[in-house]
Amino acid sequence: MKLVGIVGSNAEFSYNRILLNFIAKNFKKLVDVEVLDIKDVPMFNQSDDQTNSEVIQNLNNKIMQADGVIIATPEYNHSITSALQSVLEWLSFKIHPLDEKPVMIVGASYDVQGSSRSQLHLRQILDAPGVNAIVMPGNEFLLGEVYDAFDEDENLKDAQTAQFLETCIKKFIRFINVVKVIHAPEGMQDVSDTEDLYATGAIDTTVEGIDMSADDWLEQAAEATQAVEGNTYVKLNRGLLTVNQLNHFLNSMPAELTYADSNNQFLYYNHNMEKEDMLAGRRPEQVGSPLAECHPERVFSGVSWVIQQLRTGKQDVVRTQVPTHGPDKFVVHSYQAVRDDEDNYIGINEYVQDIQPIIDWYLEQTGQQLTGGGVDAVSGATSKVDTVAGATVKS
Amino acid sequence: MKKFLSILGTNSDYSTNRILLQFIQKHFADQADIEIFEIKHLPAFNKPEDKTAPQEVQKLADKIREADGVIISSPEYNHSVPAILKSTLEWLSYTNQALIDKPVMLTGASYGRLGSSRAQSHLRQMLDAPELKARIMPSSEFLIGYSLQAFDDNGTLKDQQKIEELEQIFNDFIHFVDITNQLVNANETHQKQAANFSWETN
Repeated sequence: MKLVGIVGSNAEFSYNRILLNFIAKNFKKLVDVEVLDIKDVPMFNQSDDQTNSEVIQNLNNKIMQADGVIIATPEYNHSITSALQSVLEWLSFKIHPLDEKPVMIVGASYDVQGSSRSQLHLRQILDAPGVNAIVMPGNEFLLGEVYDAFDEDENLKDAQTAQFLETCIKKFIRFINVVKVIHAPEGMQDVSDTEDLYATGAIDTTVEGIDMSADDWLEQAAEATQAVEGNTYVKLNRGLLTVNQLNHFLNSMPAELTYADSNNQFLYYNHNMEKEDMLAGRRPEQVGSPLAECHPERVFSGVSWVIQQLRTGKQDVVRTQVPTHGPDKFVVHSYQAVRDDEDNYIGINEYVQDIQPIIDWYLEQTGQQLTGGGVDAVSGATSKVDTVAGATVKS
Repeated sequence: MKKFLSILGTNSDYSTNRILLQFIQKHFADQADIEIFEIKHLPAFNKPEDKTAPQEVQKLADKIREADGVIISSPEYNHSVPAILKSTLEWLSYTNQALIDKPVMLTGASYGRLGSSRAQSHLRQMLDAPELKARIMPSSEFLIGYSLQAFDDNGTLKDQQKIEELEQIFNDFIHFVDITNQLVNANETHQKQAANFSWETN
């Protein structure tokens, strides 16, 4: 993952530059951070457009290519510096490299405030429509009394503070990934026309001449194909079972199984429960229906997207968690591509499971416990931070 | 008659805030002598080690000191004030601290409906910083939205209600200047405190 760190000051000596260098050096196993200076950026003037100058274009390109941006801001007069303000004005005038870019704010200051007010201003500025960055909420890293914060090797002296900074960086990495999901073009566009959800075509195995929507499609299709059943043997790779054995075997699977073919026709589910008792309800008369008739129209785009992922081979399995079953269950829908010996996509195996019992069993067997990820939002920098206003008594 | 210095908060060649200040200058000519100061020639603030103000900055500081009050008119860039205005305030706070205890009135105009409301709110917070410590007139928001359509060809505000609103605020400001100066004279410790303020050690 590639980040750029922007030094929010044009001063020759800046603790915020030292802070960003520390981040780049100390967390290089986690992220690749390139520290950028803004001291050569001219003062913004809308009547003297210098968007195409080398220094602004350089910032523009570096930001565009980065997965995220860390801005380190000092505090001047309860706000950010005019130098940083000017940069943000250039980057929101004719060009908009920060548009929808994940941004993390850190800051260092000489006083106890640790840039608290300027960070709030910066959030509001980054939220302006011309800038439109996506700023990570919370995780406020304020480094007060900064003249005493670093040792001679420019490392943070206080281990707790460094630990808190690491937590913030790790969260930012996760935040960037979340933002990527939100902005995946597939998630934004209506892609429902990429799949024939009404199964209007036919493949080699399609049983033609029978109304797919008919409640007794299965009975009609079985008759038309002279399908075997009951105690007739079926030869499989690798084994021999009767149809009854096969049915009971599939019904004993610890998941709800559904098969839809590459023509988007719903052909099978392991029917061992009534619809109301299932995690993802199915009715016997639905078998044979095109997928369009098994889903409400508002999800057509999502369904098509999933099928496209599998059909085109972008993914072999797409998983999604459905949180509507309450806190005692963790229900996962997995859409697994079914491929033949030549690796051609021939359909979907959707299996729906509550994996909570498996996790509980694992924890019980290994004597482990789930924790919140070791994150302590109030530790670290707080020893140097005064979030209560009124520190101005010193002045 | 009062003597006010008005500061235009932008370096742009065309600015409806400039038109607004020119209107104020003209409209209240019988009540106050108002000079309009352009900050576009000021260098960008860069925290120089010797802490001396460049000539242009010193000129502004002198004018502020001579004035009974200051009027700042700012557009809104990115929910805040333009960098050039911020830079000007940084110079003043870092070098001569000319705004300390100076009565200040804020106005603002913007092309959109909101009329620079967020910029004014940021500006208030900045002027309240210990390094600036201006005396901002409270409860006196004057905002002009849709500023491109707000003035006629002579630079007069078209909306009579807006003019009355401005007259009221301006009258308040004249009183506010008197009251503030009484208060300030009674308590000179502010100046001493602020003079001792250091960016590096505070």
